[in-house]
Amino acid sequence: MSPSSVAILGGSRLAEDLHGLARDNGLNAARCARPDKIDPATEVVVDTLARGSEEKRRLVEAIDAAAPGAALVLSSCIRWSTTTLASWSRRPERIVGFATFHPLARRNVIELARGLDTGDDAMAAAGSLVERLGKESAVVKDAPGLVFPRILSLIINEAARSLDEEVATAEEIDVALRLGTNYPQGPLRWADEIGLDEVLAVLEGLLEETGDDRYRPAPLLRKMVASGRLGESAGRGFYRHGETGI
Amino acid sequence: MANENKIGVIGAGTMGAGIAQVAVQGGFECVVYDIAQEFLDRGLGRIRNFIGRGREKGQIDAQQEADILARLQGSLALEDLSDAVLVVEAATENLPVKRELFQKLDAACAPETLLATNTSSLSVTAIGGAVKDATRVLGMHFFNPAPLMALVEVVQGELTSDATVAKAMDITRRFGKTPVRAKDTPGFIVNRIARPFYNEALRILGDGGTDVETVDRIMRESGGFRMGPFELQDLIGIDINFTATETLYHAFFEDPRFRPSPLQQKLYLAGHLGRKTGKGFYNYESK
Repeated sequence: MSPSSVAILGGSRLAEDLHGLARDNGLNAARCARPDKIDPATEVVVDTLARGSEEKRRLVEAIDAAAPGAALVLSSCIRWSTTTLASWSRRPERIVGFATFHPLARRNVIELARGLDTGDDAMAAAGSLVERLGKESAVVKDAPGLVFPRILSLIINEAARSLDEEVATAEEIDVALRLGTNYPQGPLRWADEIGLDEVLAVLEGLLEETGDDRYRPAPLLRKMVASGRLGESAGRGFYRHGETGI
Repeated sequence: MANENKIGVIGAGTMGAGIAQVAVQGGFECVVYDIAQEFLDRGLGRIRNFIGRGREKGQIDAQQEADILARLQGSLALEDLSDAVLVVEAATENLPVKRELFQKLDAACAPETLLATNTSSLSVTAIGGAVKDATRVLGMHFFNPAPLMALVEVVQGELTSDATVAKAMDITRRFGKTPVRAKDTPGFIVNRIARPFYNEALRILGDGGTDVETVDRIMRESGGFRMGPFELQDLIGIDINFTATETLYHAFFEDPRFRPSPLQQKLYLAGHLGRKTGKGFYNYESK
């Protein structure tokens, strides 16, 4: 059965994208600032929060309490694997992970992951929701960032290191990857579009879950997120955007 | 005195011929050097074919074709390159071979001739160290196929002068290409930053639970990449891709970020190199 009502949590641009997409496809879509605002009749709860370990854990617990028993919970696994997220819940069988980046308009495929305890019904409901949104789904192995966010975050991390080491300027790095290997966007410009905090979240998640040094975030990326230079949304990232920024 | 309109190219293989074609199409005279006439015949023949096809498609007329080809010459004598404003070396990726070549070029060429290497994996500084005047030695990394790819990485070694880099950037623009300036670091810009596109996809494959087709589809349909990482490796050649990763891994003193994939190595050792052998991540044998 295809879900017809969805509650979207979080203030991210991805939440905004999802809300627009759900409405455009005739779903009854609501944005909720907090889980206690979730309509008790809602069939799907989508949580887009990608950062803040305490905050995310509290959110998973609050969804547990607020979402109706039969609801599917689609939770962003950008920073934690689906299984880790589900371990914070008393109802792990209804939690399905998803990972993608803003803007959704450019994503024809939405990646889904099943945690160790995710149920078949939840997987089926997640697949039909993605279909209702006019996208294709791909089920992949559960890990922070799944496939596209994971690979792109590593490319951006290497670009940030190269910039920090003064191998070349940001513009030259972006031109080189577009012209030298036909990337749709230069990696640093792309990072600004996605949000540097989301990129850092994928790297931190992979580093934490695997312990493998290859995921160590570039010091420049950490510094930029710490100083609020998150990219387009903040007016400043690797480039300046709009009228803001000094 | 160097002739400001003359380029020398060492090596008539795929990259050397491609670079020579770029030079003559950019209005320069070009002398291509190689060690045997048959190599020159093959390389120059490839350029003539490429430019001939351009005429057949109406991109240039017969007169333009004749003018372009008149600027192209092959030679078995290094001295014929001595008055070039720039010599681009595109010989085999082997440091001792390149160092010896640069010593000969240093002795043969005018003092103001720029000496560039098209290396994609060796250190420009190490090559420059072989000659008396290393300030004129730099990297000019063209991408394959050179006549079609717009980018050239202009690489400044530790000893390369700013004037050398500025002049090479200028010549690159006259070739109709886009230069980007890069420091002499392993993989320069593109080969380094693009590594995770292949390497992390291989890691995901190695983790199990996700197949080649799914990763490629996601990278195309979600990432907007023209090709997925596995179909692209099959096109490039798994041997070339594996060697590039291995070289970079060692150049960074075994940094785990560049650790090669056992899965990719297995295909390499089995001789399943991609499209050119009919088999790689995908099967291309007659269906």
